[in-house]
Amino acid sequence: MIKLEMQNVSLGYGHQPVLKDITLRAAPGEMVGLIGPNGSGKSTIIKALSRIINPSAGRILLDGRDIDRIPRRELACLVGVVPQMPLLPSTFTAFEIVLMGRNPHLGLFQSESQQDWAIAWQAMRKTATDSLANRRVNELSGGEIQCLLIARVLVQETRAILLDEPTANLDIGRQVEILDLIKKLCMESNLTVLAAVHDLNLAAQYCDRLCLINEGSVHAEGTTAEVITDKNIKQVYGAENCVYPHPVNGLPIVLLSAKRNKSDGT
Amino acid sequence: MKSKVCLLCTICLISALALSFSASCESVPESAPPSPIEVTDQLGRVVRLETAPQRIISLAPSNTEVLFALGLADRVVAVTDYCNYPPEAEAKPSIGGFSTPNMEEIVALSPDLILATSIHESKVISQLESKGLTVLALNPKTVNEVLEAILLTGKVAGVEENASELAAEMQQRIKAVTDKIASLSPEEKLKTCYVVWFSDEGLMVAGADTLQDEIIDKAGGLNIGMEVKDYASIDIETVIGLNPEVMIVGTGHGSSGNDTFDYTRTEARLRDIDARQNERIYGVDSDSATRPGPRIVDGLEQFARFIHPELFE
Amino acid sequence: MSFKPSSAEPTGTYFSGRRTRLYSILGLAIALVAVVVLATSVGSVHIPLLTTFRILVDKLPLIDITQTWQSPLSTIILEIRLPRVILAGLVGASLATAGATYQGLFRNPLADPYLIGVAQGASLGAVVGFLLPITWQGFGFGLIPLLAFIGALVAAAVVYGLARVGKTVPVTTLILAGVALGALLGSIVSYLIISSGEDMHGIIFWLMGSFSLSQWSEVGIVLPYAVVGTAVIIIFARLLNIMQLDEEQAQQLGVSVEKIKVILLAAATLITAASVSFVGTIGFVGIIIPHAVRLIWGADHRFLLPLSVLTGAIFMILTDLVARIVLAPTEIPIGVITAICGAPFFLYLLRRRKRVIF
Repeated sequence: MIKLEMQNVSLGYGHQPVLKDITLRAAPGEMVGLIGPNGSGKSTIIKALSRIINPSAGRILLDGRDIDRIPRRELACLVGVVPQMPLLPSTFTAFEIVLMGRNPHLGLFQSESQQDWAIAWQAMRKTATDSLANRRVNELSGGEIQCLLIARVLVQETRAILLDEPTANLDIGRQVEILDLIKKLCMESNLTVLAAVHDLNLAAQYCDRLCLINEGSVHAEGTTAEVITDKNIKQVYGAENCVYPHPVNGLPIVLLSAKRNKSDGT
Repeated sequence: MKSKVCLLCTICLISALALSFSASCESVPESAPPSPIEVTDQLGRVVRLETAPQRIISLAPSNTEVLFALGLADRVVAVTDYCNYPPEAEAKPSIGGFSTPNMEEIVALSPDLILATSIHESKVISQLESKGLTVLALNPKTVNEVLEAILLTGKVAGVEENASELAAEMQQRIKAVTDKIASLSPEEKLKTCYVVWFSDEGLMVAGADTLQDEIIDKAGGLNIGMEVKDYASIDIETVIGLNPEVMIVGTGHGSSGNDTFDYTRTEARLRDIDARQNERIYGVDSDSATRPGPRIVDGLEQFARFIHPELFE
Repeated sequence: MSFKPSSAEPTGTYFSGRRTRLYSILGLAIALVAVVVLATSVGSVHIPLLTTFRILVDKLPLIDITQTWQSPLSTIILEIRLPRVILAGLVGASLATAGATYQGLFRNPLADPYLIGVAQGASLGAVVGFLLPITWQGFGFGLIPLLAFIGALVAAAVVYGLARVGKTVPVTTLILAGVALGALLGSIVSYLIISSGEDMHGIIFWLMGSFSLSQWSEVGIVLPYAVVGTAVIIIFARLLNIMQLDEEQAQQLGVSVEKIKVILLAAATLITAASVSFVGTIGFVGIIIPHAVRLIWGADHRFLLPLSVLTGAIFMILTDLVARIVLAPTEIPIGVITAICGAPFFLYLLRRRKRVIF
């Protein structure tokens, strides 16, 4: 189990600052949700945590160790990423793509063994993608690919998982399935999970803590009830009076209603 | 009676001379000298042969001409695709092209001497030597070096007498031309050029350090191409500015037939140069004018006839 | 839970696919030996097959056959044909492997071994070697291959240096820099050829690529480069697979992308430079053989690379054979034959398989 930490991280592409003085934390067994409007910097945080981009200021720590000092392969054994819209070469089958998740555990001269194949097969069963095993990636739908990527990160057997919009293309049934799976793993195996989620309601239901990002800085952080409030929603999204309590479990939910214009009868 | 005897004697003498002359030019190989021969060829390499070679391969048309002129036709076992003179040479088996001789064929023929040129210096010669074959390279750049090449080949092949006779004959013919030219004053030398081919940009001519430059000079001409080195293109403007009085153009299979010749005689932009106005553009078989072999003397004599017809008939 | 793959399982095809490819590698290796023997026994001078066999077998250690043939024949077989055939195999294997590597690194089906200026650098070096009035011979090779090799490596290094941005080398920038430098060097080469006068013939022939005049000393030099370079590339085959994902994903899966780029670029460039220095620039092999292998056996680099080695070698030996016997004793430049023979076959494969290969 590892603890993820960002301390006063600032980051930008060229001269354009994207993250300004971000501090956040994720502990083992905890599922932290990153929420915020488009372009607020959620994907960038995930890239920074997996050392794809280097911050211009601040530190990123994994269990107190500076992420910069950790060799790439070791980092991949500790942190796994489910990216948002990845490029997948169409010449590989689904099984082969999932199998690539075993790479961090293989040395240069090693090839996949029986055990690796078993792990990959098991992950595909768990994510209900086993029927796609021999299909080429270019034949799959967006939702199937998303489940495939989840299977891949499971195969990576990391202590922490970062997810960038893991359910964007899934139907509601699948959304619940996948998030249930991730939540279960998080609790049972004490994983540290950080997920950037667009859907506020899903975030509210599944995440133990939320981090609301707006324009590159942390606007609010804490439990679901603390973060999803009318005031925060209005300040960040500009939508008014949308937060209601969930009828079953009391967690905040966001409901929208369209504006009615009586004059043109719409 | 005395005059008749004199006449008879003279006839006998001349016949004897003629007979001995023709006899020495027939292919009668002299007996091989018993001692090994060692020479330095024209690429500075030391070549050693135990006995006179009996199986000779030529890797260049000019070398082939030298071999045949020395009466070694029987000893030549192969030539290149381009060896077309004398006509008997075409009947010999070929071992490929100029810069790409076929190694297998050469080795299969078990030659004891191979005549190469400077083109073969970078790769072919070392290849041949690594197979244990003897290579003599001829690389004449001047008329004198052509004569030296003939003498060198004669020495290596054991036909030194043929070689010196041929060289002497060639010297005589050259002298016949240069003696007459010596009597000319510098103003009487005509501006000449030897044209190899043409393009939109200009004419490719023989410049300084070429054989043609030398024979133009010996034939009483002034090579307008001497500003450039080797074979180089001069643009049309400069050609018009230099205003050659005589133009000699290479023709034949080596120079795309008569294309260049026709071009120089019909190209509109050249109409005002002296050579065109006075219709002094001549075609010459490029093989005889450019091959650094025995026929270079033919080339010289033709050039002399073209440039100074009044002196040579 | 142990994993027993069987054809009944959907992933069974993954394993039967691997088995097929392994057998193919074995089959091609045997075919390669057969092709080497075939090519050595055929040439412009007719030598009976049995004699060839005798000459070859006699050379094997611990075997001695009384000589019933004439010496020139064994010179032809052992000193002219055999080194030529082996060099052709090495060059074909190197170019095909380098091509597959570049295609994998750049994730671009149009990449070939000459993409980052190697061919033009080698050509420039060779032309300079032709025009210099010095001749030099040492360690079994001459001035021209040495300058060609240096030219190739310098060009690649310059392109790499131009394309570097901080610690990374974006592949698109690498391609563009390679194309630009290649064009510049190419025009310098053209200018030098035009002003070379009588040396032109030899230069142009070298540039078109040829295996004539191959010797054992050249094989001795190309062999270590080809073997080591190819071995290094094949070791990284699995990582090259993962690099087919975008660079971000590869890094997130633990691949040090920049380090591998440098290693693979260097290895592929070295084997290309070694080949080009001795035989000139032969086109078609580097770009098309990897694609043909992909069409037949798929894109997994762990099989693509060894299969490219074998297919490239066989292809080059056969085309060289055609080049030297069709119009014997004259030889056709090998670049012409590779395109004439290779293109129709590749188009046939493309039509038949209709499979996504990239």
